Amino acid sequence: MKNTSTRRDFLKLVTNAFFSLSGLLGLGGLFRFFSFQPDPGPPTEFELGPIYEYPKGIQVIRLDIPAVIQHTDEGIIAISLVCTHLGCTAEENEDGEGFTCPCHGSRYSKSGNVIEGPATKNLPRYRIEEQVDGSLRLYTK
Amino acid sequence: MTHPSRIGSRRSLLLTITILLGLGLLLFAGTVAAAAPVPQTTETPFATVTPTFDLSRLDEPVTADPPGQIDRGAIHYWGVCMACHGDYGQGLIPEWRDAFGEDKDCWQSDCHGPDHLPEGFQMHKDNLAPPIAGPGKLARFSNAFELYEYIYETMPWWNPGSITREEAWSLANYVLKLNGTRPDGLVLTDTNGFAIPVHRAVSLPDAEWPGVLTLAGVLVLAAVGMVLQSAIKRAYTSVVLPKPNFVHHLHPPSIPLLQSRFRYTLGAGGIAVFLSLVLLVTGLLEMYFYIPSPEHAATSVQVITTLVPFGNLVRNLHYWSAQLLLIVMTIHLLRVVLTGAYAKPRRFNFLLGLALLVFILLLDFTGYILRWDEGIHWALVVGTNLLKTIPIIGENFYRFVMGGPEPGPAALTRFYAWHIFGLTIGTAILIGWHAFRVRRDGGIAVPPPTERADKTRITRFELLRREVLAMVIVGIVLLLIAVLIPAPINQPISDAGIDTSDSRAPWFFLWVQQLLKYGDPFIWGVLVPLLVVLGLGLIPYVLPRAKVEELGRWFPRGNRYAQILVIIVILGITVLTALANLPIFK
Repeated sequence: MKNTSTRRDFLKLVTNAFFSLSGLLGLGGLFRFFSFQPDPGPPTEFELGPIYEYPKGIQVIRLDIPAVIQHTDEGIIAISLVCTHLGCTAEENEDGEGFTCPCHGSRYSKSGNVIEGPATKNLPRYRIEEQVDGSLRLYTK
Repeated sequence: MTHPSRIGSRRSLLLTITILLGLGLLLFAGTVAAAAPVPQTTETPFATVTPTFDLSRLDEPVTADPPGQIDRGAIHYWGVCMACHGDYGQGLIPEWRDAFGEDKDCWQSDCHGPDHLPEGFQMHKDNLAPPIAGPGKLARFSNAFELYEYIYETMPWWNPGSITREEAWSLANYVLKLNGTRPDGLVLTDTNGFAIPVHRAVSLPDAEWPGVLTLAGVLVLAAVGMVLQSAIKRAYTSVVLPKPNFVHHLHPPSIPLLQSRFRYTLGAGGIAVFLSLVLLVTGLLEMYFYIPSPEHAATSVQVITTLVPFGNLVRNLHYWSAQLLLIVMTIHLLRVVLTGAYAKPRRFNFLLGLALLVFILLLDFTGYILRWDEGIHWALVVGTNLLKTIPIIGENFYRFVMGGPEPGPAALTRFYAWHIFGLTIGTAILIGWHAFRVRRDGGIAVPPPTERADKTRITRFELLRREVLAMVIVGIVLLLIAVLIPAPINQPISDAGIDTSDSRAPWFFLWVQQLLKYGDPFIWGVLVPLLVVLGLGLIPYVLPRAKVEELGRWFPRGNRYAQILVIIVILGITVLTALANLPIFK
């Protein structure tokens, strides 16, 4: 009787181990299932049009990126308008000098530097490249 | 200039020239075009080439043997499309026009092979063969299906409509490769083309069968362990009362051994519960990827099936559990009638079971509709138009179901809500009630009269063990079916309609579709099926029932009429289904 009981216990242990293993396999599959991301995410390249549309001194707001394109002394530059605080889109001030975030009031200078918090980081620049046909393309990555 | 074909006979002369003029001549040669066309040593789609042009670019692509879809695409591209779109999809840019020799045109170069006109062949009037590979290209296409459709309908521009659908698929596949967004091993079809993006590289999930076979193998070992345990000791008479738990009611401390005889119950009720649980779990998983909108529904189903790791398995499990559930429930119904088990006090539970069958049929139908692809298009139209044929209330009932005058976004949302919520909640309540009543009405089944004196009992753990064993076995079978047989899928519903559209009802309603051929749609499509359900529901109340002494055995004398009736109904439905499948009736 003692013997039988031990054998039974051993079998029970092995059986439960197999069930646990199958559960782990299922969990692994579940993890991979949920890891797939069907969303492509936002585009990382934007056409800005021909270079001659950006004469010296111009400032163009592109809300679809969102970014501001400026032709300054450095040349044509693009500054992100995504507030570095929590991601709202900063808006151009009425005087055209600098930007303010509508959500928590962060203020940035015209060149994207923080003037007033809560944001602590300056607005980042985006890369712009001139294409062979003379048009400009902006890269967010 | 020395003609290349005469190099052999004038080797010494060429050598002399080379020595004399050296590098200067070589540089010069780069800017001066050849006076005569270069004869071809290898077969290429071009007869002439500017000498600076690297001839190996025109070589026939090396392909696998036997060629797969991508190889056929590569060959086809090389033979037809490359002339204008370039060897790497660069389009008809100056660099590529060198391939056409002196005139940088197709005029002399036989670039269209047998289709080349004897009097020559001019390039596209605007010389516009756009680049089809690289960043920013093919911007108008978002998925491989759109690309395929465009190629099929418009290419090549000088003879659109001349390529087959399969050739168009192979070309779309090759264009993805040129763009570097083709996942390895991709074979495009209209049931995965919507899931494959043109501009974003995705990868196809690994094959499911190794994982599934591993899981099935482990479960087999676990099942063997369970069987061996019972072989060692059958502790049926153990009366140690365990603590109550959530299965307390359905699993009392002990039940008579003879109540759970497989050859009497067939385990159909338990298996149905297990299949329902599988449906619940896999359905919840599908909800994480399914998008219930007419534009995205079928595409998201293709994404689940094609791209999501184990998504195909989950969908196949859901589909096959649903189909099996209908069969298992039918067997359950047959068992209950053929053993007369619905006799008092189980008459009401028979009705609950019948209601469950109706709910599951509705769940099967709504789930089928959620695919929202061409495979379900006509079943949706016909199935819901049947509601309109009901006198007086028909039109309003249709709008109640569809949320509008025709199938659209509102209808899809309603089917979705009914499927995942309304009908599911109703079914869950009915399952609970049905199982509760089983115990209330005296347990799983009455033992046969000769053995009712046998007082042997099994513990709830033994009962649970048997149930788990049954689940494991059914689970393994289900896994194997799901990994081997794909669930049906089709391309999204398009307004234009397509020729591959399936006009048949889902298999479980084929009998109704067959009935509809016999006459008035209200009578044959609504009234007759309702009468069938009503007739089954009246069995315990109208027809003679088996006596208590007869219960516990198959085919008691007492309810012969009911047995005959249910067999006639099942046979009738089977025959009608078979008729609907015969080609002459299509």
